[in-house]
Amino acid sequence: MDETRSSLGPDPDLRAEGAQLSADPEMLEARVDAVATRATVAAQVDAAAAAEQRRQRRYLARALLRSPTFMVGMFILLFWVFMALFSTGITQNPTDVDPAASLQAPSGAHWFGTDDLGRDVFARTMAGARTVLIIAPAATILALLWGGIIGLVAGFWRGLTDEIIMRLVDVLLALPIIITSILVLSLLGKGTAIIIVTIGALFTPVVSRTVRAAVISEREREYVMAARLRGERSAFVMAREILPNITQPIIVEGTVRLGYAVFTAATLSFLGFGLAPPSPDWGLTISTQRVFLQIAPWTVLFPAVALASLVVAVNLITDGLGRVFAK
Amino acid sequence: MPSANGQSSGDGAAPRALDVSDLEVTFHRRGRRLPVLKGITMHIERGEAYGLVGESGCGKTTLAMAAMRYLAANGTIDAGRVLVDGQDVSELSEEALRKWRGGKVSMVYQDPTQALSPAMRIGDQLAEVYRYHEGTGKTEAIERARESLRRVAIPDPEATLHRYPFELSGGQQQRVVIAMALSINPQLLILDEPTTGLDATVEAEILDLIEELRGRINAAILLITHNLGLVARLCERVGVLYAGRLVEEGAAKQVFTDPRHPYTMGLLRCVPRFGMNKTDAALQTIPGTLPALGEPLKGCVYSARCPMAKPVCVRREPDLYAWPGDGGARGAAEAEALPPDPAAYSPHHANPVGEASRHVRCYFSPDVPEMPVMTPVLATSLEARGATEGNVLSIENVQRTFKDGRKKLTAVSDISLELKRGETFGLVGESGSGKTTLAKCVTGLIAPDSGTIEFEGGQLRPTAGRRSKDALRAIQMVFQNPDSTLNPSWSTRAILTRAVRKLGGADRASVRGKVDKLSADVRVEPRFLLQKPLDLSGGQKQRIAIARAFAGDPTLVICDEPASALDVSVQASILNLLVELQTNEHVSYVFISHDLAVVRYISDRIGVMYLAELIEVGAAAEVFNPPHHPYTEALLSSIPTLDFDDARQRIPLRGTMPSLSEPPSGCRFHTRCHRLLGDICREQEPPLQEAVSGHTYKCHIPPNELLVLQTETAAAAGRGSAADAAEPQSIGASDLSAPAEV
Amino acid sequence: MLRLIGRRLLLMIPTLILASVLIFALAEVLPGDVGRSILGPYATQEQVDALNTELGADKPLYERYWNWASGWVTGDWGESLLLKQPVFPVVMKGLGNSLLLAGFALAIIVPLSILLGVFAGLRRDSLLDRGITISSLSMTVIPEFVSGVVLLYVFAVALKWLPVTAMPPDGSPFVYRFYYLILPAIPLMFLELGYIARMARAGTVQVMEMPFIRTAVLKGLPRRRIIFGHLLRNAMVPTVTVIGSQIGWLIGGLVVIETLFVYPGIGKLMVDAALTHDIPMLEAAVLIVAIIYMVSNLFADIIVALLNPRIRKGA
Repeated sequence: MDETRSSLGPDPDLRAEGAQLSADPEMLEARVDAVATRATVAAQVDAAAAAEQRRQRRYLARALLRSPTFMVGMFILLFWVFMALFSTGITQNPTDVDPAASLQAPSGAHWFGTDDLGRDVFARTMAGARTVLIIAPAATILALLWGGIIGLVAGFWRGLTDEIIMRLVDVLLALPIIITSILVLSLLGKGTAIIIVTIGALFTPVVSRTVRAAVISEREREYVMAARLRGERSAFVMAREILPNITQPIIVEGTVRLGYAVFTAATLSFLGFGLAPPSPDWGLTISTQRVFLQIAPWTVLFPAVALASLVVAVNLITDGLGRVFAK
Repeated sequence: MPSANGQSSGDGAAPRALDVSDLEVTFHRRGRRLPVLKGITMHIERGEAYGLVGESGCGKTTLAMAAMRYLAANGTIDAGRVLVDGQDVSELSEEALRKWRGGKVSMVYQDPTQALSPAMRIGDQLAEVYRYHEGTGKTEAIERARESLRRVAIPDPEATLHRYPFELSGGQQQRVVIAMALSINPQLLILDEPTTGLDATVEAEILDLIEELRGRINAAILLITHNLGLVARLCERVGVLYAGRLVEEGAAKQVFTDPRHPYTMGLLRCVPRFGMNKTDAALQTIPGTLPALGEPLKGCVYSARCPMAKPVCVRREPDLYAWPGDGGARGAAEAEALPPDPAAYSPHHANPVGEASRHVRCYFSPDVPEMPVMTPVLATSLEARGATEGNVLSIENVQRTFKDGRKKLTAVSDISLELKRGETFGLVGESGSGKTTLAKCVTGLIAPDSGTIEFEGGQLRPTAGRRSKDALRAIQMVFQNPDSTLNPSWSTRAILTRAVRKLGGADRASVRGKVDKLSADVRVEPRFLLQKPLDLSGGQKQRIAIARAFAGDPTLVICDEPASALDVSVQASILNLLVELQTNEHVSYVFISHDLAVVRYISDRIGVMYLAELIEVGAAAEVFNPPHHPYTEALLSSIPTLDFDDARQRIPLRGTMPSLSEPPSGCRFHTRCHRLLGDICREQEPPLQEAVSGHTYKCHIPPNELLVLQTETAAAAGRGSAADAAEPQSIGASDLSAPAEV
Repeated sequence: MLRLIGRRLLLMIPTLILASVLIFALAEVLPGDVGRSILGPYATQEQVDALNTELGADKPLYERYWNWASGWVTGDWGESLLLKQPVFPVVMKGLGNSLLLAGFALAIIVPLSILLGVFAGLRRDSLLDRGITISSLSMTVIPEFVSGVVLLYVFAVALKWLPVTAMPPDGSPFVYRFYYLILPAIPLMFLELGYIARMARAGTVQVMEMPFIRTAVLKGLPRRRIIFGHLLRNAMVPTVTVIGSQIGWLIGGLVVIETLFVYPGIGKLMVDAALTHDIPMLEAAVLIVAIIYMVSNLFADIIVALLNPRIRKGA
């Protein structure tokens, strides 16, 4: 039977090798040789596969580099990341108080003017990205992690598990996020960690819904059935078969959530549920300085524009990514 | 047939319905020019029916869209003219174009369930054509809409007016689309794959309607299809399109019985003829794949795949020559001397395309009837495949019901069957008959509610997750959709490696060897193992899926429409591959398909399903011949074939498929049966009748009476016997059984 | 249709119960000691215990929940710890003010955003489309207190076209209120405009590619008939759903805008209650917001059913 089958194969070398292996199991040397050759071939094959993957990634990268929205967004975001990391050495100290120079208009000494306590608005604006750039990405990662797991499980198992999870998600979504976070933060107290966990937890339902929808459309595909016919365990099917095919919607959802996380974190600061003074956080600054809007608008407008530029940047990145993925 | 269409075709002064000359259409993608149609010249006379055939991607639909002036935004007409009813389409103003679409030319589309506006009543959708074309008032427009529904024989037109598209069956929706297309008496009716995706009996119903309407309307028809049988049945003339070129054109009967282009010949040879079986003849395949859009082609567009290609074919592209030329046949040696003798082949410009004329774009047309035959792997006899060793699979009283809201849908109702080693069991039936659910019960993807499935003597657990490794290894499945059967983020090698490791249970080193052997067995070149599924063609993907199913040397493979999403030439090679694997491995198949000719070809035994029940089982040849179940009889009569003397009486099925949630009482088929006896069919479940040993069917009519009835019908239609007698005579059986040369 | 509404209303009940449990849990269980969380770390244990007894917080949880929920249903929403007066009328007054502001904003947002979205979708990938998409996107993502502050500066401080406050002086005619609401309404519009416009655009683009639109074109219908007869009805389905679910986001926006403009709506009420740990007030306000959110989603579902005969006929 083996003979007939291999005689149909197009590759005589392969056939010879196969025949040799099965016919002479004692010829250890030859076998070792064959295995070694195969290992080399295997390495080459893997290298080629990796090259193929790199080619695809390069294509994506090129498409992103050509997208003006993505590039502009990335530029602004990187600017704020840079400022968050290094502005301390460049600008004046954002928390240095100088009562003699309060509410001064922008000048050579203070590019963006000073606030009611005489602090340099430029320094505070540049440093203001720090808190938001810690809170928002951390909260987003938490939400993706939790939402990803919940969405995968609910979408894959369906049935009662899904029913219960989705009902809970519905309820959580029935409460506006800002309101729930006010509720939690006012009673649990403030602090960066609490804010991160709260925002992460409150974004989890939305993420899990997106992931679940993606999983449901994927799990009916025939390759998933083929995996079940191989006797793969559920965890393997979820993590190795389905997950790689839904990374794009997850990435897009992640960037969307990042934008909203910045938004939410800033809003919570503004409402007084975020960080405490003297943090240079933008939302907090706008909240505390807005009484001076009529006499010293610079104290409010510069942080406002800065915050606007950051959220717009994140959303330009989202838009660019979405467009490139859609192609 | 043209005589039925009135005076217009004889009138020399009246303009042709469609006149296309030297049409070049190009798509632009990322700065690249991709020619889709290359110098197409063809015409359709008034009232004539013209079939345009070719595999997907040949440019058929683009030609139709050019005639509609509705190319995609990135498509342009670079040269040539399209005249409809004497009017140059490109010269119409916006408003004139609007009136002209739906007025002079109209179209029927492939998927009727997508073609109608989902949130608008049928009546309004029909009426708006009159209102915006002829300024008809609202009440009168509705009145005319009702009339047009009557014309396409919709049951209860009054109620249909008030329905939404989702409330109609696919066949009824297509009737509505046809009614809509015919509203304003167009000069040209374009049918773009009008029955693709519809079930066999619905397809037959739509074809009957079109045929019947042809006698009453004066529109010319452009039928676009990949189904040659449809063209044979409906069209006077046919054009064969390949890679944007018209490669052959002529009277349909001539082209199909005496093809003179290797591509036409290839197309005709690669579909199984009605009644053909794998033990009689192997299917011919067309090597290679269709060229991708914009792929540079040297010389003749078909030369890369042509088994007759000579150096001259690659050097210079042949013209569209008139056939037969006055020089007659010429040998290969003569053809080597380029340029071809103009006396023997006059380019068609010198010989204007006329009613009777025949054109071929090939230097070697005289040699086409002797085109070499390839791939001679014939199936061995059932015994040689190990069938004597007893049953591999036996299913007893399997039942499966789904819940849809409050309704209960029984998808598989009390089915029993068995399968021998090395045997192929074909499962046919229309969509929703329960074929796939039954298959999934066997593989364990769906657990049956009751009944037992025995495999190699032991009872199988209901779901795959609970089955032993050995049971998983032994029962595998090949799925329908090549685009979703492989995980898009895995490389082909990773897919096969995982399958071998889980099912073959081998160590690391031997896994690699096994993967290489598998891919060699399914004829996938090693370089494709590095690719992800996205970079493979549909045929290659399906080959990998087959290799995956064979990873653990299975005993039984369920094939769920494994080739129906593929082009016919690829389909043939997949079927051949399955036959070959079976010959070598003695594997058993359950083969599901809606294509009766394919099932007849590949199966040893056939089961027919209707509304979740197995209504007939028997050896393939026996099921296809009387006495057989009236439903099988109707199904068989509905298939369009390439047989031009086909005088089979078509048996139209009444009404629509009943719902699975409320199956008819008594015999499930009684609501549609043409051999209805009376109350006994409505009230009593029919017994299992045995026609010959091993051939059973569920009906109240005993075999001897049924045989008389069914042979009478066939005799009345002027033929000795029904279906199976439609032997492959049109293309010469000698060609198909010719000894291998390659 | 009526059955559909009835079913949806019935489905709301378990959601509402779950939501009330959740709110109760967040407000009274999560902080552990209710009295302590209200009075803060510096209160004596006696004070905390006294408050707990007053609030009934020393009783078992299910009894507390039952008392609160049953009181809520009968209109007894408890007494505000801060104002020392019944919660119900205070919340209702705030709700009225908020609905006026939100309704004013929505009345402008919905038609405008749909118009822009459909317009952009019909001229897909044109300069106009890109312009509408990018600018509406940017407006949507900027927090409303940021745009609010900038608008306040430009129109009220620099140009002096509009008043700085959101409430007219006492005794002004009712219509004056709209004049005072223009400035607070604009940031709310920004918040929603881009999102809804994007959805309308996506719906339009998607439906334009459907085969039935090709049928409509090739049967020779005029463009306006294709848009109004075939396109809009189908393209609006996702948009309507989104508008329904965006009401929650709008209420979140109200919280911020009312704080910024010192407008006595339910949002301001909630922030104040949260900051002062006025738990009965907070619970009542949050629950009423949840109900409004659910009702608006119900309305969206009804409109979708009206647009889509398949859902309407219960298929």
